[in-house]
Amino acid sequence: MKRFIKKLTVAAALRLVHAALVELRWLDPFVREQMEALPVGISYAIHTGHDAPTLYVQWDGKRLLRLEQAPAKTTCELRLKSLADSFLMFTGQIGLAHGYARHSFTMQGEIADVMRLARLVDRAEAYLFPAFMSRRILTEVPALPSSPLRLYGRLILGFLSRSYT
Amino acid sequence: MNPPFFEYQNAVKILCGDHALERIPDELRHLGAAHPLLLTDTMLMKLGIATIVAELMSEEGCPAAATFTDIPVDSSLSVVNRIASLFREHACDSIVAVGGGSVIDSAKGVRLVLSQETDDILSLSGVENLVRGRHVPFIVVPTTAGTGSECTGVAVIRNEAQDVKMEFLSPFVEPDVAILDARMTLKLPARATASTGMDALCHAIEAASCLQKNPLSDAHATAAISLVSRYLLRAVEAPSDADARLHMALAATLAGIAFSNSMVGGVHAIGHALGGVCHVPHADVMAILLPHVMRYNLSKADRSYAELLPYMIGMEAAAALPREQRAQALLDSVVGLTQKLHDAAGLHLRLRDLGVPEQELEHVAEVALNDGALIVNPVALDKERTLQLLRAAY
Repeated sequence: MKRFIKKLTVAAALRLVHAALVELRWLDPFVREQMEALPVGISYAIHTGHDAPTLYVQWDGKRLLRLEQAPAKTTCELRLKSLADSFLMFTGQIGLAHGYARHSFTMQGEIADVMRLARLVDRAEAYLFPAFMSRRILTEVPALPSSPLRLYGRLILGFLSRSYT
Repeated sequence: MNPPFFEYQNAVKILCGDHALERIPDELRHLGAAHPLLLTDTMLMKLGIATIVAELMSEEGCPAAATFTDIPVDSSLSVVNRIASLFREHACDSIVAVGGGSVIDSAKGVRLVLSQETDDILSLSGVENLVRGRHVPFIVVPTTAGTGSECTGVAVIRNEAQDVKMEFLSPFVEPDVAILDARMTLKLPARATASTGMDALCHAIEAASCLQKNPLSDAHATAAISLVSRYLLRAVEAPSDADARLHMALAATLAGIAFSNSMVGGVHAIGHALGGVCHVPHADVMAILLPHVMRYNLSKADRSYAELLPYMIGMEAAAALPREQRAQALLDSVVGLTQKLHDAAGLHLRLRDLGVPEQELEHVAEVALNDGALIVNPVALDKERTLQLLRAAY
């Protein structure tokens, strides 16, 4: 597959994961609890490879903001080792745990902060991917208190109204 | 079945056996060093164990340029920064660490601070995030047979401010040389021999059953399990048996190489949290938690456990069991070994025996969820199930 298609796919997946977390805060009590337990001001950067997209997010105590550029000091930086690794992870071919097991990324910051993010991303993936994929990439598929269709419905409305910028 | 991708690294030169200690000065010379900083703890100095190394180094023409012994039972970020300052003040050019996990992990932290040319180890926290810095020659002499820290790419250092144990994962914390000499563990008390040996067994079992397991780490893990099953009880019952001591030192090193290349799992995630919150000895906690977490993981780790059984109880005894009973048999053999070690040396079997306050269990469960080792445990753990495990072990 052409590199630019992989970059586009990864960029779209990053946006989708962020948007899903924003919506799941209102749909899933587990996500709400985990998100509201994040230290206020904590920020994450996810770099997906050389000359590939980066997602910057920050929890301001009320919202999980997507930032257009890096904050002054990023609390935790995840750096995928190649675009190929990013593509595997963001297209549901491997989960975060298997990505870790494959040494797919490096991390700058405290491991505890990555674990906080990992719980949220795992939960989002359980909604975003069909069950057969979730079973393959998650160590356990959680019982979901809300329907994935409901999430997708909210995501469509959210993207149409540009709610995630 | 092989994983679709794995990594393996072990760059440590291992000197194992008779008169290994006497080679330290020669190894330092080969590494281009002449002014080592000797790191150890006060107890090892009092027992005369660290002094054996110090004297041999002097006799062979490479005395310590400075010595630091004030290392606490749990290594800490501030102590690491303090030792790095001492290294610079005395113009040392290398590190020789003589001790157990705390001393070795502190030394690894110091090496990181010096090689990355910073003043604060906290600025280096992360996973595989560092580039190779300045080379600081580094020799490790373990005085327990358990941590395997002499051959691992991880340093576990306590963050006093947050009451948590932090992991620094980088291939650049690996020592240049590890010295395994039976003289270093001959005076280890029976109970400490038992608990540290169980720590090594725990490393091997978790390494060979977690999500990051791979054929090369499995090879080291299975060799470690064989040695533990043959020599641990012997070392406990006959403390002066140098052969048993050396084989246990080797078992710990093999298990260290195994888990350094495939991580650990739930036992260590919960154990690190218990150590951070309740300040209980790591090896004791590992011995207590191992059977409980194995039981919890049995549904998904059954195949791995079954494959480990021959190394634990022998090829013929394992082959005599039906395939579907072998995973449970491994768990039973681990429980049996801990009971024998309890009878022989007073190995603790419950968390309450270590003085863990029951009211802290919930906090421990919360902290455990943020430990990196949890990510590769074969079965997912949440707060409620972690708490159930802790209560079962209490």
